[in-house]
Amino acid sequence: MSADAPPAPRVFFREAIARALAEEMAREPRLLLLGQDIGAFGGAYREFAGLHARFGAARVRDTPVAESAMVGVAIGAAAAGTRTLVSITYMDFLMLALDPLVNYGAKLRYKTGGQLRAPVVVKTTAGAKGQGVAHAQCLEAWLMGVPGLKVVAPSTPADAYGLLKSALREDGPVVFVDHKRLFPVAGPLPAHEHVTPFGRAQVVRDGRDVTIATHGYMTVVALDAARRLAHEGVSCEVVDLRCLAPLDVGTVAASAARTGALVTLEEGQPSCGVGAEVAFRVRDAVGTLRVARVGALPAPVSSNPVLEAACVPDASRVVETVRRLLDPARRAAPPSEES
Amino acid sequence: MQGLEALRAMLLIRAFEHRLLARPDRGFQLASSGAEAVAVGVCAALGSDDTLLTSGRSIGPALARGLDPGAVMAELLGRTGGPCRGRGGRGHLAQPAAGFFGAHAVVAGNLSVAAGVALAMQSQSRPGVVACLFGDGACGSGALHETLNIATLWRLPLLLVCDDNGWSVSTPRAAALAPQRLADFARPFGIASESVDGMDVGAVADAARRLAAHARAGLGPAFLECASARFTPHSTATRETRTRAQLEALELRCPIRAHAGALRARGELDDAALAALEHEARDRVDDAVAFAEASPMPGPEELLDDVG
Repeated sequence: MSADAPPAPRVFFREAIARALAEEMAREPRLLLLGQDIGAFGGAYREFAGLHARFGAARVRDTPVAESAMVGVAIGAAAAGTRTLVSITYMDFLMLALDPLVNYGAKLRYKTGGQLRAPVVVKTTAGAKGQGVAHAQCLEAWLMGVPGLKVVAPSTPADAYGLLKSALREDGPVVFVDHKRLFPVAGPLPAHEHVTPFGRAQVVRDGRDVTIATHGYMTVVALDAARRLAHEGVSCEVVDLRCLAPLDVGTVAASAARTGALVTLEEGQPSCGVGAEVAFRVRDAVGTLRVARVGALPAPVSSNPVLEAACVPDASRVVETVRRLLDPARRAAPPSEES
Repeated sequence: MQGLEALRAMLLIRAFEHRLLARPDRGFQLASSGAEAVAVGVCAALGSDDTLLTSGRSIGPALARGLDPGAVMAELLGRTGGPCRGRGGRGHLAQPAAGFFGAHAVVAGNLSVAAGVALAMQSQSRPGVVACLFGDGACGSGALHETLNIATLWRLPLLLVCDDNGWSVSTPRAAALAPQRLADFARPFGIASESVDGMDVGAVADAARRLAAHARAGLGPAFLECASARFTPHSTATRETRTRAQLEALELRCPIRAHAGALRARGELDDAALAALEHEARDRVDDAVAFAEASPMPGPEELLDDVG
């Protein structure tokens, strides 16, 4: 960007989502939105604000509390030529809808030999924010290994906008994962229309000593940790994965090859988690690499503020993990990874 | 499709399955023998604007819908000449362009999908109805309640057809479902419903036409319960748990025999005509087998095609 270009307007995450939806609704007259409380109410986080008034109740439909049927309906409609986005308010409730999503939608193109496709977006909100054990989970790792399914998890308003627009132009099912703690976040969003391609991670902070690969709200946490570590003379490169399936191993591997050390960071469980997959594939690509992973501790995420904070990762845990990974003396002391 | 056409369609299904199940390379199959009248009767009510979804027990419905028997045989045997290039198999047969949106082998898994197809039709102002065929086993699932609720709220053009053969694998209906009458599942929603003898192709066709007309008229979904029978075990991989006497009693209700008897009584069928129709069905199956056998299996290099 040239020095005299006007700065991009700053918008909230929810506004970026609403803008992407409005533009795509206008572009694709068949596009339907389904979900609980997305109509006149405007969505749990007001990310659907204004759409019901502009596009009407037939295209912006409030639904019963029936996640399984709603995802099945959305996929059936999409397969029959009506592209659909279905909102699952909490990612925890996506479990109710895994049958239509995984057994039907993700396999539809394959099992019909290409006769049918399911251009559906399942938008859902993950993450811990004081709402308790069944309103807090980050389950995106479960979905990454499903053939036929794409999974994106933006961390900024600009990526929320660009990735949602891409998702709404895909041929097959996409799970779009946002995060409760990102909705109050504002960030620059260029006024011109653009899309963000899938499968491309982004280096959001340059560094020399260690690569932190993360996604979603944990990108904010990683950047916070990187700023703290900079005061100690440790230079962190932070890579926002943005898209978990397909995964951009190349960008993370290029960074890790330079720094020689990789920390993966996710809010969900690290066992069989996003970081486990990223670390394996990056180490496979790079060869010798120091690796540590950070994720939630192996407990449910309580609404109790003390227990919630103790469970999910914060910047302090990232800082400590990076210190341990980079300090050979400390690294010798088990455990070698945080989990 | 009543009269001789219905008989012809049912004979084709019976002959087709008989030949398929005798093959050593048949793989895992779910047969429709005993439920031919449900498939043929329901398809009699469907036109070219309409589409059909089924459970994994899809062979009879696919043939009744008019799919080419050779293509169906090829699909069931894993050959690339099948509409899904041999990937779908019996549980996931599909040929949407021919009005067969497809089978889905998760019990109750196609109900909400069918409602979605109906939503697309409604949203696009297309004239058709969506029929969804499922077994009595699906009635124990929450998916039926969720789908009935949303389809009624949104007045979707959806005809739900329960092919009640009385068994979920080895579990009798009485041990799995509380209501005596499965059409009662539709009662709280205030939608049109009927219960018919699923061994009587004419009765199924008449009821399906009435209920499809209801859905076509924009009055919302309808529910058709067809009491049928399954003459074979749940699948080719399942032990038969019923006694010989039970099976013989079921076969006395054979829908093909019943319909042929009715046609004879009306003077529309005699021995020679029946023999000719049976011969024709065998010939069509011969052709289907020949087509399937001439069609290659996929190569392993095709594994990753069309994943997503």
